[in-house]
Amino acid sequence: MKNEITLQTRRQFLRTTVLGSALSWTVPAFLADTFAALHSEAADSATQIATGKDATILVVLQMAGGNDGINTVVPYTNDYYRKARPKLGLTPQQVLNLNGEIGLHRALTGFKDLYDDGHLAVVQGVGYPNPNRSHFRSTEIWQTASDSDQVEKYGWLGRYFDNACPGCDPTVGVDIGGQTPQSFFAQTPTGISLANPQSYRFMSPGRFKPGQVDLLEESYEKMNEMPDDAPDANSGGSIGALASGMPQPGGSVLHFIERTALDAQVSSEKIRAIVARVKNQAPYPATKLGGDLKLIAQLIAGGLPTRVYYVSQGGYDTHVNQAGTQDRLLKELGDAVNAFVGDLKAQGNLQRVLVVTFSEFGRRVAENANGGTDHGAAAPLFVIGDKVKAGLLGRYPSLAPQDLFEGDIQYTVDFRSIYAGVLESWLQVKSAPVLGRQFEPLQLV
Amino acid sequence: MLKALPADRWDYNTAAHLLNRAGFGGPPTVIERLASLGPDDALSTLLDYEQYADPTPAPDWAKPDPAGVKQLRDAAKNASPDERRKLYQQEMRVQFRRLMELRGWWLNRMAKGPRPFQEKMVLFWHGHFATSFVKVRSAYYMWRQNELFRRLATGNWQELLTFVGKDPAMLIWLDQAESRRPHANENFAREVMELFSLGIGHYTEKDVTEGARALTGWSLDRLNQDYIYRPFFHDNGAKTFLGLTGNLNGDDVIARIVAQPASARFITAKLWNYFAGQPPSDGLNIALAAVLGENGNNFKPLLRIMFRSEEFYNPAIVCNQVKSPVQWLVGTARVLECDLPPTQICEGITRRMRQDLFAPPNVKGWDGGIAWITTTTLLDRYNTAALLIQGADIPKARLEAMQQMQMNSMAAGQPPAQRERVHVGGVDVVRILSPEERTDKSRLVAALQHRLLQSALKDDQARALGDFLNARGKLNDADIRAAIRLVMCTPEYQVT
Repeated sequence: MKNEITLQTRRQFLRTTVLGSALSWTVPAFLADTFAALHSEAADSATQIATGKDATILVVLQMAGGNDGINTVVPYTNDYYRKARPKLGLTPQQVLNLNGEIGLHRALTGFKDLYDDGHLAVVQGVGYPNPNRSHFRSTEIWQTASDSDQVEKYGWLGRYFDNACPGCDPTVGVDIGGQTPQSFFAQTPTGISLANPQSYRFMSPGRFKPGQVDLLEESYEKMNEMPDDAPDANSGGSIGALASGMPQPGGSVLHFIERTALDAQVSSEKIRAIVARVKNQAPYPATKLGGDLKLIAQLIAGGLPTRVYYVSQGGYDTHVNQAGTQDRLLKELGDAVNAFVGDLKAQGNLQRVLVVTFSEFGRRVAENANGGTDHGAAAPLFVIGDKVKAGLLGRYPSLAPQDLFEGDIQYTVDFRSIYAGVLESWLQVKSAPVLGRQFEPLQLV
Repeated sequence: MLKALPADRWDYNTAAHLLNRAGFGGPPTVIERLASLGPDDALSTLLDYEQYADPTPAPDWAKPDPAGVKQLRDAAKNASPDERRKLYQQEMRVQFRRLMELRGWWLNRMAKGPRPFQEKMVLFWHGHFATSFVKVRSAYYMWRQNELFRRLATGNWQELLTFVGKDPAMLIWLDQAESRRPHANENFAREVMELFSLGIGHYTEKDVTEGARALTGWSLDRLNQDYIYRPFFHDNGAKTFLGLTGNLNGDDVIARIVAQPASARFITAKLWNYFAGQPPSDGLNIALAAVLGENGNNFKPLLRIMFRSEEFYNPAIVCNQVKSPVQWLVGTARVLECDLPPTQICEGITRRMRQDLFAPPNVKGWDGGIAWITTTTLLDRYNTAALLIQGADIPKARLEAMQQMQMNSMAAGQPPAQRERVHVGGVDVVRILSPEERTDKSRLVAALQHRLLQSALKDDQARALGDFLNARGKLNDADIRAAIRLVMCTPEYQVT
């Protein structure tokens, strides 16, 4: 009986996604239409109930482009703020008040709810010494947790995988979107990248029934096995970064691809089975980020042994006409994360999940002549979870002109002390081997 | 450094390497011809592309349209907010349709055109100056920038940088069009140094703000859809930019940048990385930069020396570059002597593999190299191979809706008006394989490796392919197409 139910679900799933959504624009969806429906029975028979794990999970949410932190967590009573932002400044009526001095941008109603429920911490004034105003260099600094004058090859999460998860299932790290983030770069490449779970498979036109072997798929698997003479995991296809994030393989390019091919093969069956079987428990907004978090919630519910999920929302580089753009982005952010928390709560998994946001930098205190803001330095970030130390953490940096450095607020919390807190109290590993030295862990939970 | 490869090392393999890197690869007959020409003449057939006419006509909308701009402006002025939104949506739909046409137009030049090297350079400059339609929102501007890259593909560095700075798409992309005194917008001033010409560490934050002041006045005439200098925007005060002081303007900024030794180092390293697949050593980089300088900052002489050099044919370089998605797609069409699928399908293919033409992810462009390969994009390559080689039946109505950009009606899941299906993709095996190769399985395996790979399959892979063919009994075209797809579904096919 169980099998029949999943079969129904899967057919329904195929029908709705292939015909009824924007996914129908993609090529593999055509193939899904042509091939996959022919042997959905076979795929269903392979569906297994994956066992859930109890380990904690970290979701890293990148706000790419440099979010204007000052108009996100708004010091709306501050005179310097109103002076620096004649056009962009938000009035008391345009913020969601937190403590009488600071409020959230009005579009963040989703975050305000979480704040009121004790699920959201705002860490104020996060940055690092000698801030860099290049998107790419500053992103690299955040992704690798390096000092601003050092170039570090591997990502901070990659070093966590190297240190804490040797020989782990490749799905220990999952990036949603299809582009490996630099923070995953590692000595031993670990982690998979996932965009559309439906096409996350080798598709074959072979018409076959359960129990029947699809020769083409079998041949594909054999032709993608790692050769016996491949270098072992620790000397083979590592990924490191050159300065400015251009990834470089440690071994040969071919070895790197062989490894990725194997990871794809191993993870594909598992992920498709989960997505076909698990339903979300809460509605999500129909946005890109909403869809990505919805998929993460499914994978969590399905018991994928993942410790770190990575998801990214772009568009924060608001040099011109910032107001409308930031409104839309923050609304998308708050609503999607709020739905995600609701879903996890309904699943009973919220206590296992911690979401941490980051953006490569905040923006200049003074607005520019185009109704926008230019690249800046420190900014707030958000930590979301069941047992976070909810409220405002750290200290809001001074906006007084004499306290600014080249027009930017100065950081009060080093982002690496947040990483240290996440590693030690959430992922339960020593942070110094991952971060290169001991940072005072910020107490987040 | 950069000694010419001895002529006696010129053979089928070196010729294939050159064709793959300086072009998009090709079938064995083309490689054999290049091998027989010797290195200098082979190189000349690629680099001296001016000798071949390229009669590709521009899309019919690829011209300024002041009357159209004015009409839209006037209509919007008198419209209600709702009507205005509708007007802009309509306009965007037109632009998206043109963008799709533009993508197909360019992909076909790469896949079929007589000047593959020129197109490969256009692709380099597009990735380098990474401008996106997402912000520019005009297919005409994107086409115009593409044509600029084509015209100056192997031209002069300073001329190219200057034209790019005054290019309408770039003026919008990095906000230079809006930059005016007294609060200059720093976007272009920063990126032109950081990402286009010098790299971090070769300028200061002060140079960014001062450069931005000097660049004020470079702007866009949105009615006539052309560059315009606006004296009123220009900051006439004294500025100090990269050590030079005066009432500097935009041309001074570009000239000053190109005069920095770091500039030649920066661009030659990037070119070498694009063609060789890895960054040059310091020594090689210095040599490349010197060649560029000795040749008046003109790229073609540099490129000729580069492609002729021993370093370029080093075993560590050959077969050690990940094919970009565009190279993978276009190269497959060239190697298998087939057409690209309809544009609306190609667009989806390159997007899924993360190389959306005219829409790079950000101003840094595509990272390239192994960043092209993730578990997701690799499976996408394997499945797209099925579409290209085995083909798929696609409802005609859906294909047409895609062409008309009727996203909304599609998204609503309306039943197709007709059930008719169109067969898309699929390779003609009779055209590319002899009767013997189509019947004799070991000859087939050999022929496929020869055509599709620069290296041989590993023993286990060749055995698996042989087993597959043996299990099929007497081979039909579908079996052969499946075998071609299998060869494309290997790590080996992803490198060049």
